[in-house]
Amino acid sequence: MLLPKFKFHEPKTEQEACQILTEYGDKARPIAGGTDLVVNMKKKLMSPEHVVSLSRIASLKGLQKENGFVKIGACFTVADMIEAKDIRENVNALSAGAAALGSPLVRNLATIGGNLGSARPAADLPPPLMAYGATLILKSGKGKRNIAIDDFFKSPGTTECRPDEFIAEIQVLTPPAGAGAGYINLGARKAQDCNIVNVASFICLNKSGVIDTARVILGCVGPVHLRAPAAEKILMGEKPDKVLFRQAADAAKTDCLPITDFRGTGEYKRAMVGVLTQRTLEIALDEAKKNN
Amino acid sequence: MSEYDVINSRAARLDAPDKVTGRAVFVDDMSMPGMLYGAMLQSPVAHAKILNVDISEALKLPGVKSVVTAKEAGLINYGVSPARYDETLFCSDRVRYVGDEIAAVAAVDLETAMEAVSLIKVTYEELPILLTVEEAMAEGAPQLHDKYPGNICAEVHQEFGDVATAFKECDIIKTTTFTNKRQDAAFIEPQGVLANYDLSGHLTLYSSTQVPHYVQRIVSMVLGLPMGKVRVVKPYVGGGFGIKAATNPMELAACLLSMKTRKPVKMNYSREQVFLFSRARHQFVHKMTTGVKKDGTIVALEHECYLDGGAYSSFGIATVYYAGSLLGGPYKLQNMKYDGYRAYTNKPACGAHRGHGGVAARACWEQQLDMIAEELNMDPLDFRLMNMMETGDVSCNDLSMSSFGMRECIEAIKEGSDWKSKKGKLPKGKGIGMACGFFVSGAGYPIYRSDTPHSTMVIKLTEDGGSAILYSGSAEIGQGSDTAFAMIAAETIGIPLENVRIESGDTDFGVDLGAYSSRQTLMTGHATKEAAEDVKQQVLDVLSKELNVAVEEMDIKQGRIIFKNETPDYSVLKTAYIKEHRGWTDQPEGAYLTFNEAARIAFLVKGPIVGTGKYSPPILGGRFKGAAVGTSPAYGCSAMIAEVSVDMDTGHVTVDKVTDAHDCGKAINRTSVEAQMQGSISMGLGEALFEEVKFDDKGHIINSDLAEYKIPTILDMPPVDAIVVETNEPNGPFGAKEVGEGGIMPVIPAILNAVYDAIGERIYELPMSSERIYMALNKKNKK
Amino acid sequence: MKELINLTINDQAYEVAVAPNQTLVDVLRYQLELTGTKKGCELGDCGSCTVIMDGKPVNSCLVLAMQAVGKDIKTIEGLETEQGLHPVQKAFVEKQGVQCGFCTSGMILSAKSLLDKNGDPTEHEIRKALSGNLCRCTGYQKIIESVQAASKGVSK
Repeated sequence: MLLPKFKFHEPKTEQEACQILTEYGDKARPIAGGTDLVVNMKKKLMSPEHVVSLSRIASLKGLQKENGFVKIGACFTVADMIEAKDIRENVNALSAGAAALGSPLVRNLATIGGNLGSARPAADLPPPLMAYGATLILKSGKGKRNIAIDDFFKSPGTTECRPDEFIAEIQVLTPPAGAGAGYINLGARKAQDCNIVNVASFICLNKSGVIDTARVILGCVGPVHLRAPAAEKILMGEKPDKVLFRQAADAAKTDCLPITDFRGTGEYKRAMVGVLTQRTLEIALDEAKKNN
Repeated sequence: MSEYDVINSRAARLDAPDKVTGRAVFVDDMSMPGMLYGAMLQSPVAHAKILNVDISEALKLPGVKSVVTAKEAGLINYGVSPARYDETLFCSDRVRYVGDEIAAVAAVDLETAMEAVSLIKVTYEELPILLTVEEAMAEGAPQLHDKYPGNICAEVHQEFGDVATAFKECDIIKTTTFTNKRQDAAFIEPQGVLANYDLSGHLTLYSSTQVPHYVQRIVSMVLGLPMGKVRVVKPYVGGGFGIKAATNPMELAACLLSMKTRKPVKMNYSREQVFLFSRARHQFVHKMTTGVKKDGTIVALEHECYLDGGAYSSFGIATVYYAGSLLGGPYKLQNMKYDGYRAYTNKPACGAHRGHGGVAARACWEQQLDMIAEELNMDPLDFRLMNMMETGDVSCNDLSMSSFGMRECIEAIKEGSDWKSKKGKLPKGKGIGMACGFFVSGAGYPIYRSDTPHSTMVIKLTEDGGSAILYSGSAEIGQGSDTAFAMIAAETIGIPLENVRIESGDTDFGVDLGAYSSRQTLMTGHATKEAAEDVKQQVLDVLSKELNVAVEEMDIKQGRIIFKNETPDYSVLKTAYIKEHRGWTDQPEGAYLTFNEAARIAFLVKGPIVGTGKYSPPILGGRFKGAAVGTSPAYGCSAMIAEVSVDMDTGHVTVDKVTDAHDCGKAINRTSVEAQMQGSISMGLGEALFEEVKFDDKGHIINSDLAEYKIPTILDMPPVDAIVVETNEPNGPFGAKEVGEGGIMPVIPAILNAVYDAIGERIYELPMSSERIYMALNKKNKK
Repeated sequence: MKELINLTINDQAYEVAVAPNQTLVDVLRYQLELTGTKKGCELGDCGSCTVIMDGKPVNSCLVLAMQAVGKDIKTIEGLETEQGLHPVQKAFVEKQGVQCGFCTSGMILSAKSLLDKNGDPTEHEIRKALSGNLCRCTGYQKIIESVQAASKGVSK
């Protein structure tokens, strides 16, 4: 399979990258691990005239815990996310999302920025990141801006990121005591699968054991990853237990718009939203109790 | 301790060192000076008239050396069975599936060839498309082939015994229907070719094929070349599973392009093209009615089957027969009626795929037998033990079980899985199930009507006497046949395996029908044994004259000449050998005459020592129409137990453990036998749980890649306990018979029966996706 | 159009002219004649093109050749030493982790990467590490046994 022809740029600094992207605008496409872009280009779904590699920009590869945030460079690989102690210990559901992505070979190339930038509705990293309320740092020649991940995805394959911009960093606020999160993906196989449904849940318990923050994120059941407002509403202000979680799970089923496609019927996906919501909430609760 | 020196061991494969170092050469690893690259234009629509093909723009593109269409290729019909030659190399007036071949291009590089393909302009007039058997067989449906009215590619009607009368004696009569899904073989190496028509008019085709001989015949026929001028060579092949057991259009196109350009032409299928070419497992719809007496005796089977064949026949005429005939065993069944239909549809053609024709049928029936056993309140193992055939039994459709270790297989898995303590005692969501199967050890007849030997073998001793080289047209495609034949030769001659080398997969070396129908171990194995005996005889004949010892008083073992009675004085021979080899470091030592020395003497006396062998099956049973499909010199059999867990909320099925036993006759290489069993299980598990080629309503494949067409990963496979059961097959070399395909037979039904045990619902449609199981559980809960 | 780049493969430096749209696997196979790296799907789904890049196994069909500049690349051809086969290769021969051989290069490189990090992996760790490499012949059982045998060889 041949790739379409393109010009290749490998900026060494963020500034250089900004210049190139400003110059070529929507004729350019950033590449990091390439695990989505190269596939799309081979399938002739995309053929940018300019491909701009961000992989040689050292400042995009870092991971720091700083001021209560876990800050992950856009070019940090998914495999390294699984290994990273700072991620596992602070935002474990994100480790779970990373471990669920693709195959070990893909994870060694794929990056967090790429998984967000390609905006696939079945992607593994958006649900946990949305559950933690992450923020994306976008950079361009005009400067940088922060955008809440909830506002980032527009439709399959498109995001808030302008053609002259690139994702530079993802910042996740370290959850407070009493918080916990869970992520589960359901596919056909146990490895390298495209998800049928994936769900992440986050809850935070206050001192009296009442849920004061709840976020439930549903994947594969809408054009973008969805928050589940009805489910979250049920959880808020309540003490967690199985019955409550069951109610939230049922509500989550009404929070989504699954379509029937070759991976499954809408009916099944909706039902699985319920099952996975319940299960991720249970994981979240276990973790929340431990973090208290 | 084995009575053998070489066979029946765990010898390392001869090809393993090349394969673990990346040195093994597959077809896409080859290149030739001046080589061109080919690409093919395939139809983007499922059914249309071709109004015009305009290649002028493609020809103008710099770097393009040749563009061929039906005009250049001609319209010679070909296919697999001469009874159904319904394809031409390129379509001239009509395309019948998305992927049907229209033209091919040779150019200086692949990029240019692909661009040229995009410049060929075809005008289509689209026709209504048929995507299901029902649509194809409906009255007034458009006809895909004028020669086959009603879109019926083939139909079979057979009755053995008297089913209607037999049902009257039955206490339980059970009817079920069952369907699988179109499968893809998903071998990891896509098909590829390198064709070289040289300046003296000889064509050599290197191809990723299982059947060099059949490809040689079809290439000769379609391109109008004498067979003697066509040589087909199979380099290492990355799996085939039946799909590479027939000629593909790329092989023909590359040859034609090489003839036109007088340059070597290389072509490869992309993974998508592997799916477009297809030729893999059909979708079958089975309806079976089984009658059983209350003591558990299986009395009669009535069976109706519909196959979605795709646009051409390929192996399909054999497939529709196999779907019926392979239920003749492994149980004593006196009455069997079968009506099978294969319909043409506007999809890629289906063909032969591991367990040819019998896999879905076996799944349907073994599940039904499980249901009957439950109704009889019998352990399904005991039910099968009670009904199974034994050595010497002949089925109602004349399949003769010349050796049959079914009992040993069933007892082995019962023991190995601790069945007694698990069956009926597992918690909800956990299940255990079993099934049996059997399969041919080679088709009894070639694909074309002929008295040709099915296999030939030539063994030449090297002139120094040190080694034996095997020359064979047989096809090593990963199963380990080269190693098996080398072991058979070494054992037969009486020399160590390291002194045997094999050159195979080349039509210049002889006729061998190739790797399909699980035939090579038995058939090529026989030819090997015969050729090795010939070689041995020739060496001993010379020795007999030189030493004045009767041949019967000598033998060769472990590379030494054995004198059964008195040891003659062979010092003259030894001295002569030593004199010849002055300065050599590997002079034979010890107080015995070596094979080396004896074979060297034989060469000096006789010239080249070349032994030949051939194999033709004995006359096999059955005089009825279709008897040729299913008859075989021998049958392997197998039994398997699957243990599963089902997630009762999501429906996700995990196979936790498999215990499998297979009767392969005498195991030539024990490790390879286990390996075939394990591979069969993973392919069956994939078909049971995940695999399905899916189409949109225009006939395009939706999941033509290995991301969305899901074969099992290493995480999906359970630990497999593969138990090798040995019998002595009188028709096999050293008693050996098949394992390559029979191994898949019990896999799907064992999993079906285990899932039932776990959830209490029967599943009648594959794959057992999470969704299908979830829906079944839902239906049950609503009851 | 093409540009000269330097690649380090199996500790050897190569200078090679490539176009931006050439993948690493194509350059390895068709320009450098390192054909032990196979192409089974070209979309990162099968793992037969696995190479080790900076110590990690990756799908070389998804890597642009130009992205590989400055990386330490190991292919199946780089595993043998003067002492002979690598222990993983030896184990695949002895335990018959090989059938058709098309996935073998990738399997061995994934296994080697695992054992370099973890000399004594559990069966599940082996399965996880090889889960990007598809095999259609073996059912994976003898591949696992090969890696287990090699791990014993390595930790000895």
